[in-house]
Amino acid sequence: MSATPALAPKRTRAAAPEQAAPGRRARQAEVARRRGRGVAGWSRGSRIFMWTGLGVGLLFYFGLGIVPGVGTIVVAFTNYSAFPGVSTNFTGFQQFAAAFTTEGPLFYQSLKDTALFVLGNTVLTTVGGVLLAHRLAGARKGDGFLRATVFMPTVLGATVISLMWLFIFDPSAGPVAALGKHIGFSSGFFGSPTMALPLVVFVQTWAGIGFGTLIYIGGLRAIPREMFEAGTVDGCGWWRRFWLVTWPLLAPSTTVVVLLTVVGSFTTYNLIYVLTDGQFGTNTLGILAFNSAFSGSANLGYGSALTVILFVLTLIVAIPLQYWLRARERRAVD
Amino acid sequence: MASVTGARQRQGVTFRWVMAVGIVLVFLIPLLYVINISLETPAEFTASPLSIALHPQFRNFTSAWTTGDFGPQLLNTTLYSVVAGGLATMLSLFIAFPLARGLVRVSEGIYRLLLVGFFLPIAIIPLFIEAKALDLYNNRIGYILLHVEPAIPLGVIVLTSVIRTLPLEMDEAAQIDGCPYWKYLWSVVTPLCAPGMVVTFLWSLLGVWNDIIGPVVFLNSPGLFPVARGIFAFEGDHLTAWTLLTAGLVIVALPVVILFLIVQRRIIRASIGGAIK
Repeated sequence: MSATPALAPKRTRAAAPEQAAPGRRARQAEVARRRGRGVAGWSRGSRIFMWTGLGVGLLFYFGLGIVPGVGTIVVAFTNYSAFPGVSTNFTGFQQFAAAFTTEGPLFYQSLKDTALFVLGNTVLTTVGGVLLAHRLAGARKGDGFLRATVFMPTVLGATVISLMWLFIFDPSAGPVAALGKHIGFSSGFFGSPTMALPLVVFVQTWAGIGFGTLIYIGGLRAIPREMFEAGTVDGCGWWRRFWLVTWPLLAPSTTVVVLLTVVGSFTTYNLIYVLTDGQFGTNTLGILAFNSAFSGSANLGYGSALTVILFVLTLIVAIPLQYWLRARERRAVD
Repeated sequence: MASVTGARQRQGVTFRWVMAVGIVLVFLIPLLYVINISLETPAEFTASPLSIALHPQFRNFTSAWTTGDFGPQLLNTTLYSVVAGGLATMLSLFIAFPLARGLVRVSEGIYRLLLVGFFLPIAIIPLFIEAKALDLYNNRIGYILLHVEPAIPLGVIVLTSVIRTLPLEMDEAAQIDGCPYWKYLWSVVTPLCAPGMVVTFLWSLLGVWNDIIGPVVFLNSPGLFPVARGIFAFEGDHLTAWTLLTAGLVIVALPVVILFLIVQRRIIRASIGGAIK
């Protein structure tokens, strides 16, 4: 079923020469000959336009995508500072060493915060995504509305989401604090060392779970109905049916959701930037690198070194994880 | 047997209702609450944060608009996101077409290189250095140009896959008729790839509209700020004008929410993979 569209263009291309009239075949040969020279049979002006468009597009991509991406690694080996009048020198591994020595306490705490943040997000997004997908995969009345509701945060953006939750959890004026007053509960919420991280994880998951849910809905819909029916006939309870049939068959979706969430959580910092600015146990490597470069010390070199460490850390976690998840998919098929 | 099925069905109904209530509570109520407060007077809100706006009034919106420089900032945001989104979509098409048709000898290599971008370290620090060096820092044109690139890789991937489904014979017909390349792209390819173009445009537009780090790093003059940064004027350390802030949030969110509601069916269906009608 799904292979049909992929095959279709191939078939037309293969079948065309036999069906075509002789004149058309000659024309096609001419076109193919011209394409063989590297550019299709467009006029000279068209070719110039094509090359210019491609060139400008790639210039943007290289100049503002690849160059700064690789540039992070270069800047990490310097003492580049945003303060005027400070000369820039290559400092070797000095910035990296600083993370483990002079900046050690902050850095190690940040590793811990990052680990909890990534773990929390991944578990919540995966479990929540599966649950939501089970409810939303159908086509009954209201399902479309609920799907749109869960997906809504994806378009709202960091500003609206973070300010909204800051307001809702404001310790003095917010509605949650007002509710808490009735039952004698009070907290600093985003300003509390114990509550800040769980709340940040919640908001981050709230903002991103729409995607995970959609991926799981796609996975659920791809499972043949007979699989569920077999489970039902065998008299499995819903939990056994989920655990023995649905969850293993969802393995490919889980791979995508887990990898996207892990890599995303490692690198994101825009919500944290507004919610806590890295205070109260939410100082993930991403926000620490950003603040090292852009606030106070304006140490772009150290910020870059932290970004590179974060990058390596992400690879160290994501690559083995991917192998494990893929192996898990193969086991599920057997 | 029948009773077992009955129990299971009841279980299913309970699950459906519990989940529906949970979704509304967690995902919808916070948004409705913000709208609710934006319609209250400061006095009503201070009296009880949990009150419902029984006498809705729109004074918060008008004063948010005037006190927060909202008008100019919203204009900035619109300018930045529409122009950058349009440029990103156009350039994605300019890259995607030759790649999809294999017109460039190194098409496959370029395509792979576009994927490399996803696997590079966060680029914000060198981007800041580049912005300063290329005079893209703290000016409108620079801010727009800096926001074109992020949407290109995904845009090229989406558009390449769509263009590949268009029959080659159409290109040949255009070539034989002497139709210029740009005209072919504009009047044939663009309409036929409309869903892909719309998704690319909206995705890049949202990226600029909602960017919160960009305005902090690349802009310094308040006159250039987009709403995403300007809105923080309402949030003080000690005295936050909550009713104004909520009105501001509604103003910022409303345009994208409306856009989303218009296209959400298509986007959600495309993301799921169109497995079911």
